[in-house]
Amino acid sequence: MQASPWNRCVKQLRADLSEQQFNTWIRPLQAVEDGSTLRLLAPNRFVVNWINDHCLEQIQSYVGVSSPPVDVILEVGSLGAPRKVAVEDGGTPTETRPAVPVAFVGGRLNRDYTFDRFVEGNSNQLARAAASQVAHNPGAAYNPLFIYGGVGLGKTHLMHSIGNLILEQRPEARVAYVHSEQFVGDMVKALQHNTINEFKRTYRSLDALLIDDIQFFAKKDRSQEEFFHTFNALLEGQRQIVLTCDRYPKEVDGLEERLKSRFGWGLTVAIEPPELETSVAILMGKAQAEGVDLPEEVAFFVAQRIRSNVRELEGALRRIIATSAFTGRPITLDFAKEALRDLLALQDKLVTIDNIQKTVAEYFKIRVADLLSKRRSRSITRPRQIAMSLAKELTNHSLPEIGDAFGGRDHTTVIHACRRVKLLRESETRVSEDYQNLLRILTT
Amino acid sequence: MTAGVRAVIEGMQQLPLHVGPADQAAFDNFYAGENGALLHALREIAEVAQRAVLWVWGPPDSGRTHLLQATAGAADAAGFRAAFVPAAETSVAPDALDGLGELDVVCVDDIDHVAGHAGWERALFVLFEDLRQAGARLVLSARCAPLHANFDLPDLASRLTSGATFRLQALDDDQKRAALQSRAAWRGLELPDDVAQYLLTRADRSTAALFRLLDRLDTESLAAQKRLTVPFVRGVLDSARRGG
Repeated sequence: MQASPWNRCVKQLRADLSEQQFNTWIRPLQAVEDGSTLRLLAPNRFVVNWINDHCLEQIQSYVGVSSPPVDVILEVGSLGAPRKVAVEDGGTPTETRPAVPVAFVGGRLNRDYTFDRFVEGNSNQLARAAASQVAHNPGAAYNPLFIYGGVGLGKTHLMHSIGNLILEQRPEARVAYVHSEQFVGDMVKALQHNTINEFKRTYRSLDALLIDDIQFFAKKDRSQEEFFHTFNALLEGQRQIVLTCDRYPKEVDGLEERLKSRFGWGLTVAIEPPELETSVAILMGKAQAEGVDLPEEVAFFVAQRIRSNVRELEGALRRIIATSAFTGRPITLDFAKEALRDLLALQDKLVTIDNIQKTVAEYFKIRVADLLSKRRSRSITRPRQIAMSLAKELTNHSLPEIGDAFGGRDHTTVIHACRRVKLLRESETRVSEDYQNLLRILTT
Repeated sequence: MTAGVRAVIEGMQQLPLHVGPADQAAFDNFYAGENGALLHALREIAEVAQRAVLWVWGPPDSGRTHLLQATAGAADAAGFRAAFVPAAETSVAPDALDGLGELDVVCVDDIDHVAGHAGWERALFVLFEDLRQAGARLVLSARCAPLHANFDLPDLASRLTSGATFRLQALDDDQKRAALQSRAAWRGLELPDDVAQYLLTRADRSTAALFRLLDRLDTESLAAQKRLTVPFVRGVLDSARRGG
């Protein structure tokens, strides 16, 4: 088969441009040739501008010499041609992208994210129960459902689970999962293209609207305004709204008060970092979904070392799986330690007793010297006990070493501190939250 | 051919960045050393449709750019739509990421360079979400691990930790020698041990500089119709030093 003018042109450009230029600007282009014209579709305006400035003349001259001469049209666009997409349920890749229903907004629901695959623990069971109720009874149970918590703890998973279950029960339901950033982007586009009425209609006709990470609405007044009206319209029509946020609604700066107050009309639930056992269960579940045999002791090892969030756990697991796929060796504890050596070295470097003392002192607005002093007032003792407990949990230092690092205390003091903190975390929400916050600060 | 077209084509021959096909970044001309698992993972990303994020980190000159370009090239060859984005280049702005979420494979080089830039972080976040939802692949490179990249957006930082992370080891001298010889062999050039050793002791020892030197030696040996020997190489180095 004879090479098309564009193929010949690509070959020339490859020689003319630096490799980096070629990969950055030429590779993402899609070409449509019909004999007399060559339409080049670029992913964005930026690429179009670069080509205009740097090599459009070259392209024109290369394809211009063919017979008959070819006109070049360069524009932003995409063929929307079949693209190879990974199948959600782990099957073989298909050649086509599922057709997107007309006037559908938002992203696709990830079918991997179901209630069945959500690993439940103390840290998230309230949120899970509320989400499940909402999914079984959309628009009626809790509206809106507001789920908040740190990054990578499963908020998005729960949200997709709700959407998936609603669709399972009512396949014709109009469910949209939208990241708030995307809501803002779509709205800006609608304003630019004069299609804001269509935008409003589409959003307000949904049966369920799932909006992720609403902290991104902060300081975007026009978007907040539009969202406020969408929100009201849906709520009035008893359509379900689910929102997630990285913090408690009242704590989001730059969000209008009327929105904050409406967010609290339904149910607000927190999702906390998983405790060890939940992390282990999450790892085992993910490994199983990948068809990988992960021994429990390896899962415990990883979960013990990576405490901040589920995404990092997943990253560590992926690294182990990748190394095992390459070497063909079964996953054992030694193997995992080896595969994660760099990752764990970073964590070790990150968490030192010094670092813990500094962080805890800052957190409670006291001085490190106070932590190490003999002072026994409660405002000092409590942070000191928490710091000791963190040192035991996050470092490999022995108890005598930890005691020593806290102004030369005995190891029995450390044991006492750890017990005390454990009890307090169970009985006092405040202590539990402080501890979790500190864990997160120290491990991310 | 019109005079104008000829002028354009002649003008292009003066572009200094000419790269012969032999030196296009590819997996095959990357000296793996101890980075076999990474190479394996990148090949899979280039060739198999899947939802994936992969972060490669290592010092400058460890070959990150080569690997990301090779990934984009291999993905393209496998029929996927791919792009390579050099985030540290001044010619590139966050807008360059617009619409890349439609692609199958996106490689962003030097991502740590733009950590802390609000516009970039937003654009990367959107790209990540778009690719994830479409079941596509994102490959990132940086000087450091994701935890140390100092992103301001915690949502972005945590998402970027969700894939496999690989540390790319810079080559030691023995490995550099082996890499040079393997690159030479790939070009059909014989580089004897003593000559490779000579290069390592006399020239700039960054891998990139060594490969550029090899390129020059290839050309000169072809022009002079001579094999690579220590005296010949010394002559080339001397003339380079004299500004030749």
